[in-house]
Amino acid sequence: MTAIETKHLTKRFNEEVVAVDRLDLRVTEGEVFGFLGPNGAGKSTVINVLLDFVRPTEGDVTVLGYDPTTDAEQIRRRTGVLPEGASLYARLTGREHIGWVARANDATVDVDSLLSRVGLSSDEAGRAVGDYSKGMRRRLALAMALVGDPELLILDEPSAGLDPTGMQEFREIIRAEAGDGRTVFFSSHILGEVEAVCDRIGILNDGCLVATGTPDALRSNLDLGGTISIDVAYVPDALALNAIDGVEDVTIDESTITATITDSTKKIEVISELDEHTRILDITSAETSLERLFNTYTSSSREDAPAVDNEIGAAEVGVKR
Amino acid sequence: MSVRAVVSKDFLDARRAKIVWFVGIHYMLLIVLFFLQVRLGGAEGAPDLLVALWNMVFIGAVFVPAIALVTAYLSIAGERESGSIKHLLSTPVSRRDVVLGKYISRAGIVAASLVLGFAIAAVLAVVWFDSLYAAVFVRIAALTTIYALAYVAVAIGISAVTASRSRAMAGALGFYLLTNLVTLNDDISGLAGIDYVLNTVLGLGVGEDLIQFVGMLTNPARAYLVATIGVFPDGRLETMDLPEPSELSWYVQPEVAAVILGLWLILPMLVGIRQFERAAVS
Repeated sequence: MTAIETKHLTKRFNEEVVAVDRLDLRVTEGEVFGFLGPNGAGKSTVINVLLDFVRPTEGDVTVLGYDPTTDAEQIRRRTGVLPEGASLYARLTGREHIGWVARANDATVDVDSLLSRVGLSSDEAGRAVGDYSKGMRRRLALAMALVGDPELLILDEPSAGLDPTGMQEFREIIRAEAGDGRTVFFSSHILGEVEAVCDRIGILNDGCLVATGTPDALRSNLDLGGTISIDVAYVPDALALNAIDGVEDVTIDESTITATITDSTKKIEVISELDEHTRILDITSAETSLERLFNTYTSSSREDAPAVDNEIGAAEVGVKR
Repeated sequence: MSVRAVVSKDFLDARRAKIVWFVGIHYMLLIVLFFLQVRLGGAEGAPDLLVALWNMVFIGAVFVPAIALVTAYLSIAGERESGSIKHLLSTPVSRRDVVLGKYISRAGIVAASLVLGFAIAAVLAVVWFDSLYAAVFVRIAALTTIYALAYVAVAIGISAVTASRSRAMAGALGFYLLTNLVTLNDDISGLAGIDYVLNTVLGLGVGEDLIQFVGMLTNPARAYLVATIGVFPDGRLETMDLPEPSELSWYVQPEVAAVILGLWLILPMLVGIRQFERAAVS
């Protein structure tokens, strides 16, 4: 079953600016779909179309079988939304927020247990949202999205503005809520986040979908094995690393030898080759991170490669011996 | 019922924002001060309640809408600017429900404040003046409340068609200046303007009553003032320097003015709902 489908979805602003360009997207029921792309790629515009916040210029859209332009209320009744850049009502308490959302959804909720699922205590729930930290606001907004146990969750940049610890905790909450067969449409510009949470990823760039697939599939599709860096006591004179099949590029920086490898299984050959000629002090091996993947996909279609949060996403594994 | 969800949420928010206090206190002060002014200012003997009521109508025509506009002009545009409207529209409430719910909430606050103010005024009338003129009093209270709600409708309409606070403020202020300050002074009044355009510029030779009718159609303050003439007992209007309805054409009768005032309750809302349903919220 299809949860979200767009066919040739195009959204132009002011006739010239093309925010979304003939997008074909399909999200099946029960999957956690990561909608990945740099800021300004058109992710929020797509989400705004799904919820009928803006109307598409061309193309067909269905969400849970309904057309947003005619049956938006049916969609919203079955969908929980964590919108991006939407402030809450500073004068209302957390509990009151949940209360009116429940009322608008004709749903009954156990407010305290819902809030504890997102990590807000009942003490905090009684305070006005104006006193909340950024992290507490995002938690409350997620709890509002979960009211009425929706079939579909649409999360637009859910961890925007959170610190790394907060992001980590938030990610775990989302993973728990995604567990019970619920469809999750998760937009983010942070690779580590979608990689950690999503079953399938679509990469959006300049309003076009440039790749879709599981994180593993995307990685193997590109055939990028990764890199291995080896600290040695001294650099041997005769190095035949380039001769190994699957080793692409070798650089030597003082006592560190770095090899780029297209096939991960060849890493061990690089290590044994070096072990024969020198004394190995340390080994660092890195899988191709989605970040690199992301850059590969998105920079091919435009000159200025998108800015990516560098501190997150690199799946580095240090091996000591 | 999703309108109700919007109303209860908005009312709670407005209450916390002290809007209720703002409206209630201002309307009460306004009404009490009018009465006090007539009571103290009666140089030629015992002051007359009817004169006090007409004073209240005339000065109220300027101040009542100002407070009504302030109460409601940010209700939707403010939420669009802050983005909180996305939370509202992520629930099954329709755009129409949002506009209607906001109207009911703000109109309720304004109407309740006015009713309270008039209740105090009724007590003052009995204490300070010889007679209450109950029928006149109640009708003026009702017309003033409709007048205030017409401006709430205008403010909601403006708020629904604007996407930011500054534009909503410009719209509300502009509407206020165009419909109110121009009714204060006859020489620069809206009617003089209409007369100038229709007769002097276009040379249509339009009569005084027709100009008054155009004024009523385009300006709720004018419609309110004409409607209240019908409330005062015959024979008293001349002493208050007001025209007798029997001397006027049928289309500028106070009853027609009351109907036009009623239209001002509905039309701005229809425009607001229509525009907001098509608006891009992002």
